[in-house]
Amino acid sequence: METLSNLAFGLGVALSWQNVLYCFIGCFLGTLVGVLPGIGPVATVAMLLPFTFGLGPAPALIMLAGIYYGAQYGGSTTAILVNIPGESSSVVTTLDGHQMARRGRAGPALGIAAIGSFVAGCIATLLIAYFAPPLAELALKFSPAEYFSLMVFGLIAAVVLARGSLIKAIAMVCFGILLGLIGTDVNSGVIRFAFGQAELADGVGFVALAMAFFGITDVVLNLEHKEVQQVFTSRIGSVLPTLADLRTCFWSIVRGTALGSLLGVLPGGGALLASFAAYMAEKKIAKPPRTFGEGDIRGVAAPESANNAGAQTSFIPMLTLGIPSNPTMALMIGALMIQGIAPGPQVMTERPELFWGLIASMWVGNLMLLVLNLPLVGVWIKLLAVPYRLLFPAIFVFCCIGAYAVDNKVFDVYALAALSALGYVLLKLDCEPAPMVLGFILGPMMEENLRRAMMISFGDPTVLITRPISAGFLFAALALLIAIALPALRAKREEAMQE
Amino acid sequence: MAWLIVAFVVFCAAPAQAQNYPTKPIHILSPYAPGGISDIASRILGAKLTEAWGQQVVVENRPGGNGFIAMTAAAKAAPDGYTYVMATVGDVAINPALFKEMPYDVDRDLAPVAMVSDAPMVLAAHADAPFKSVAEVIAAAKAQPGRISVATPGNGSVNQIVLEWMALNTGTRFQHIPYKGGAPAAAALAGGDIPLGILASSSVAPHVKSGRIRVLAVTMGKRSRFNPEWPTLQEAGVSEVDASNWTALFAPKGTPAPVIDKLNGEVLKILTMPDVKERFAGGGVDTIPSSAAELDARVKQAAERFRAIVQKANIRPD
Repeated sequence: METLSNLAFGLGVALSWQNVLYCFIGCFLGTLVGVLPGIGPVATVAMLLPFTFGLGPAPALIMLAGIYYGAQYGGSTTAILVNIPGESSSVVTTLDGHQMARRGRAGPALGIAAIGSFVAGCIATLLIAYFAPPLAELALKFSPAEYFSLMVFGLIAAVVLARGSLIKAIAMVCFGILLGLIGTDVNSGVIRFAFGQAELADGVGFVALAMAFFGITDVVLNLEHKEVQQVFTSRIGSVLPTLADLRTCFWSIVRGTALGSLLGVLPGGGALLASFAAYMAEKKIAKPPRTFGEGDIRGVAAPESANNAGAQTSFIPMLTLGIPSNPTMALMIGALMIQGIAPGPQVMTERPELFWGLIASMWVGNLMLLVLNLPLVGVWIKLLAVPYRLLFPAIFVFCCIGAYAVDNKVFDVYALAALSALGYVLLKLDCEPAPMVLGFILGPMMEENLRRAMMISFGDPTVLITRPISAGFLFAALALLIAIALPALRAKREEAMQE
Repeated sequence: MAWLIVAFVVFCAAPAQAQNYPTKPIHILSPYAPGGISDIASRILGAKLTEAWGQQVVVENRPGGNGFIAMTAAAKAAPDGYTYVMATVGDVAINPALFKEMPYDVDRDLAPVAMVSDAPMVLAAHADAPFKSVAEVIAAAKAQPGRISVATPGNGSVNQIVLEWMALNTGTRFQHIPYKGGAPAAAALAGGDIPLGILASSSVAPHVKSGRIRVLAVTMGKRSRFNPEWPTLQEAGVSEVDASNWTALFAPKGTPAPVIDKLNGEVLKILTMPDVKERFAGGGVDTIPSSAAELDARVKQAAERFRAIVQKANIRPD
């Protein structure tokens, strides 16, 4: 009951005209960048971060959150109509969605993607409302020892769940940790690896890093191949799926939502992993006749529900533990800190208007997205015709402004340039930037907490295993390591990634 | 024509004539990110100055490098009355004692303009910690030197200075646990990870209200006007210790005296306005109107004291 009254309170916050406006801006921008291949929510959130300085914390977070889950809606449009994933998390939607478009069923594909996303979004909102508070209560019991073990678990999960080569994922995590070590050590005050540059005393700017790896590098890669794509814009027809479609998809949407919600909570998870997992599960579980890969509508419904559910539940660890499960969430933490709010379990009790307002705004946002994406789908399709020679330079300019505006430092623009070059080389070597960014964020926090735990215990390392929560995380991390080391399971993982 | 050119040259040579100063936007640099006391003080002051003088006052956050970036920029700025810096006690009185290589010299590069705000700090304990008073804390530390953990918002913070000062004057030692800012340190104290903390009263305020943290004493020489029920450390038997987290406005050295006087006068006026006092009080912060000479004396006194503490306690960042 208390949850319901909290949600009602949150709805009151979310429905203030200012918050509705920013929620709409967020959802609109999210759909926009979702539709446009090349720019994702991370780059968009990074670019908009400086503009949230002047807003209050609630409208700022509501807008940024809207971008993230809005992009999950928009990404499917491009995937279905053009066979390019507008977002990395809509990669699997291309498989069946585009086939449906080829068979003249683009409308129902778009429709079921939006409806699935909406259902998933609503359920995920409820899940956050019910499960975030007990998680936060638990998190207040977290001392540095627990935080350290949680981060060990998060980093190992990031490696295990990363796409592609395991060795490369480990290398990237380590590289991220090394980059994260640049700057002032919290525990001793020593400035490390700054080479006498005052600008580096606080470390490499995260916004510059995120924009380099997810914004500029993507654009450069897109410039490389000039793909001629067939856009199925002429015969979309009705976007309303038939009753038979809905009946077929009902359980797919439910399963996608459940899987997506679960994976979203895990560190290293979020929308991307959720959509892959949901598609693979659907291939195995769905009732015959199965025509996956040839335009099975369940192949659109499940991953699209999953990625939206995952996008929303990934807010749980961010809001309650202050731990980012993916790069977008890391930016959200940055946004909170800019507002002078230390992320962590106390956010919920000290800033209930922010916490419940944000959760309630997700409902409002999902409703807006349904309207934005179903009746107005034609408008978005037109956007796919914007020439890249206009779009790409604009992205570059926004990234430079964004990097500069964080601390008013020209140095960060140079850092952006250098990191972009680095990011391009790494992507060419098939090294995923996501594990690196997680290493960059979690590594220094892990060190800080380990050393603090040691200082509090006066150098006794057994605190890590005598405290039950800490021991639990370490055990889970060990289990993951063993799982990945076993050849049978590894083969399974590779097989899964192949698909 | 000739007189026009002469007038123009004179105008350029003395861009900051006090009568018509200011004639263009003024910049206040803040060495900290938005949301910190230096930033808030700059913004409150900037808005009122803009109103009073009809010239835009721009607050520029240049955070980073222990405040070196903004302080160095201010030290090197043209002394024309259009660039100032909202420095904190750490920037002008602690860092010079802490760091061997300083990119700026407070005495040589900066001219004091006016004190602005004063934020009290407190020695606070977790609600379940076995300490009910300062005396019990000292007794516990004496019984187990170096085994009592105390949280602060960071290495080299004025909070750490207070901790070491307290230890020196009572002949004990503490285990210093630095955090990354006041909020996480306060959360750790509220969660009971650490039994004690020396924190800004604004950082502990929400936890004091919820009953998770108990304030033992304020670190200033006299009681806070906001919470007169809290004793001072000196009353509790810790001699000498008197420190708070203040901010003050500085100009680049060489800024014309009439300009500094004019700004000081305006700042004094602003700091006594009821709505300004109220906004500062909202964060538990006092305004401290003063002359430039008083600021100068306070900086010198603080720098000297803190240098002695840093040396005796052997605090070193590198």
